[in-house]
Amino acid sequence: MSHTKVKNIFIQGAISPSFIMERIQKHSTKTDIGAHNIFIGQIRADEKDGHQVTAIQYTAYEEMALEKMSNIREDIFVKYPLTCLHVYHSLGLVPTGEICLFVFTSASHRKEAIDACEELVERIKVELPIWGEEIFDNGSQTWKINK
Amino acid sequence: MRIKILLFGQLKERLGADFIEIEGVMDSDLLMVKLKSEFPVLSEISFRVAVDKNLISEKVVLSEKSEVALLPPFSGG
Repeated sequence: MSHTKVKNIFIQGAISPSFIMERIQKHSTKTDIGAHNIFIGQIRADEKDGHQVTAIQYTAYEEMALEKMSNIREDIFVKYPLTCLHVYHSLGLVPTGEICLFVFTSASHRKEAIDACEELVERIKVELPIWGEEIFDNGSQTWKINK
Repeated sequence: MRIKILLFGQLKERLGADFIEIEGVMDSDLLMVKLKSEFPVLSEISFRVAVDKNLISEKVVLSEKSEVALLPPFSGG
């Protein structure tokens, strides 16, 4: 199976828990899988100067992000014996408490699935040209920076 | 030669445009000098430069077909 096709990872708005459930359900036919690992990123109600984050507005340099994600996907498949991996990231407005990132790895055994998932999340945060602007309850906005 | 420069995140907001255009620059070093003189705000915000969707770390020769983008620090996830 070739993994070289550039896949879209972007979803407009929040990622729904039912979408995540469906994605898990879809893998029940792949019986060589013995382990799934999932990372789910959720919008945190951070506080700054007495005001709370109510949402994050995401934008991206989409073409570059998809190209970079495709390279990362290739690297991960070379490094870990995975059955499959899936990445979904929100664009647009995602309110506090809702899901903005879903990374899903599957393998025959748990260690590969867990390690690959962790590496994917780290690389997504560092390498993909995506920007989050925090929206506060008083209407003010600040640009988030990944640590 | 006119080069189109895509803006993202904070830079898009601060410059109030999706892109800007710069005339008469042959490479990325000259582009930066001209950009920073025309748009002083670019000296206040940290950003990296991508040419044809790749981050550059040294001088790159530009053509009219080059896709240049200014990228503030990423904050996905």
